[in-house]
Amino acid sequence: MKESLLDILCCPLDKGDLELEVIREDDDEILEGRLLCEECGEEYPIEDGIPNLLPPDMRDEAAA
Amino acid sequence: MTLEDRREMPTVYEPAEDSRLLADTAVERVDGGVALEVGVGFGYVAAQVASATETRVVGCDINPEACVRAREAGIETVRSNLTDPFAADSFDVVLFNPPYLPTPPEEEWDDPLEHALSGGEDGRRVIRPFLDDLGRVLRPAGRCLLLVSSLTDIDAVVKLAADAGFESREVAEESFPFERLVVLEITHANS
Repeated sequence: MKESLLDILCCPLDKGDLELEVIREDDDEILEGRLLCEECGEEYPIEDGIPNLLPPDMRDEAAA
Repeated sequence: MTLEDRREMPTVYEPAEDSRLLADTAVERVDGGVALEVGVGFGYVAAQVASATETRVVGCDINPEACVRAREAGIETVRSNLTDPFAADSFDVVLFNPPYLPTPPEEEWDDPLEHALSGGEDGRRVIRPFLDDLGRVLRPAGRCLLLVSSLTDIDAVVKLAADAGFESREVAEESFPFERLVVLEITHANS
């Protein structure tokens, strides 16, 4: 994901702002990292450039 | 085509007549701003809009394989349940070709393509929560282009939209032997 995507993302649970932690990036986007909700502290992974913003209880079961 | 016929197909919904109707309509009516395609799948509609217009297009899908495919098609993609993780007033345009085939419970099966096709018993299982959250993410002057089939009961979808505070009008349609596909343009009722 591009860092600018952060402007239009929020926590799916409480709509809180998200803080970005970059683990790996290239010239134009973040490839691995985490998005942390500033309200509830929930963590959402960014893997292979795709942020997974499913609520935690749907992460494993939904349309795997 | 019935759900049964689709069972041999891959796990991501492939672009079909409905995708093309939505893409053509979006390319005609959208230019500029920020757009979200919900249920982006292979990224066909999103890529058409991104290449033919000056619109920044973001995609989302609940299916992880669809997210990978859409990203490969050059679309910024988020894995999400509908519009849940998008901030208020983010989009000028929201595009959605929802799962809409009415499906009896005994024919439901548990795989990702079911999510891409089945709209539950009345065909409106996914449209309902989508419309409930649409008003939050759509900017005041924004609009949604929603693909709906006569199989899903177009008037019932218009009523659901009205209940959620929207006005709807048909802006494109295409008829087939067993169904009529329509693109509804949905806007805030007060806009």
